[in-house]
Amino acid sequence: MDNAKELFGYDSLAFFGKVSASISHELKNVMAIISETAGLLGDLSAMARGGTAVDPDMLTSSTESIIEEIQRGFTTIRQMNRFSHSVDTPVVSVNLMEIIDLVSNLCGYLSFAGKTNLHTGEGAVPMALTSPFILQAIIYQAVVQSFQNAGSGAELDISIQSKNESTWRILFDGFSLNEFDVFPDDRLKNMATSIGVSICWDRTADLLELDVPVSMQDPSLQPAVTERPAGGDELRSRA
Amino acid sequence: MKVLLVDDEEKFALMLAKRLELRGINTAVFFSGEQALGTVEQGNRFDVAILDVKMPGIGGIDLKRRLRQLDERMKFVFLTGHGSTIDNAAVDQEVENCLPKPLQIDVLIEALNRLTEEP
Repeated sequence: MDNAKELFGYDSLAFFGKVSASISHELKNVMAIISETAGLLGDLSAMARGGTAVDPDMLTSSTESIIEEIQRGFTTIRQMNRFSHSVDTPVVSVNLMEIIDLVSNLCGYLSFAGKTNLHTGEGAVPMALTSPFILQAIIYQAVVQSFQNAGSGAELDISIQSKNESTWRILFDGFSLNEFDVFPDDRLKNMATSIGVSICWDRTADLLELDVPVSMQDPSLQPAVTERPAGGDELRSRA
Repeated sequence: MKVLLVDDEEKFALMLAKRLELRGINTAVFFSGEQALGTVEQGNRFDVAILDVKMPGIGGIDLKRRLRQLDERMKFVFLTGHGSTIDNAAVDQEVENCLPKPLQIDVLIEALNRLTEEP
């Protein structure tokens, strides 16, 4: 837990800044569309005053567009609020599916983002005592790196299953990096180790697995970045 | 005046194109650098290109370089919604005309008129 607190340093700030920048860009796009549409309505109004007939369908579609963009803006602000509050408590019991849902939405604000498909399984709700902020940072970096490589048409299927009584496994099917990409980098390894998360990447199958302890405060857990010698990339280090 | 407008934010691009058309400016809209390059490679010519700086795939600055190779006479206006110092520095090196979003249409029209009056 002390490691987790220590990681609320530059790397965490960098993650927070990156996400904040993408959210602000999204909101700026929303404002730009509303501004142009309002401008168009002003143009049409001026035309009507000048005696030119105005297509009522254009008025309707313009107002509908403004309403849609306002809703888009509110949705973005909701995600920003969820993200901002994820630092309220360093370690807390969270629903892992909600963490993934938030990260999926945040990644969507990046111009190169592909599509994430979240698959909710049957059975117990995947609750874990962990650092939501650091777990978000790990998942975000993994998804972003995959989309940067695969491009905007890519799809990533994410699901959660129970690995055993003390571990949830988050699976990323379609996780794709270049031959020379380094994953995970040292920053990600440190973050994972700090909260007891194992990272297992099968390069040949385009599959990434994150093993998240049900309780990161369980002293019996060995945090690991595991190295798979054949058939994939699973990096191991002992805490 | 024939204008090429390239922005990945489709609604924004379509609204802006509509406003330009209401002002008598013929505007071709594309939502990616790749699509815009394609139309110029097919022989379509434009007086001015309005380019979003940051787009997936071919970004605005790279697009400008490639379009210029195809048509030396083409003039350029950039639109930017970003505020990072890296983006601003890159834009400053390449760009004489850069307008922030949300746009002021009169400022854009003034820039377009000025560019098309230049030799």
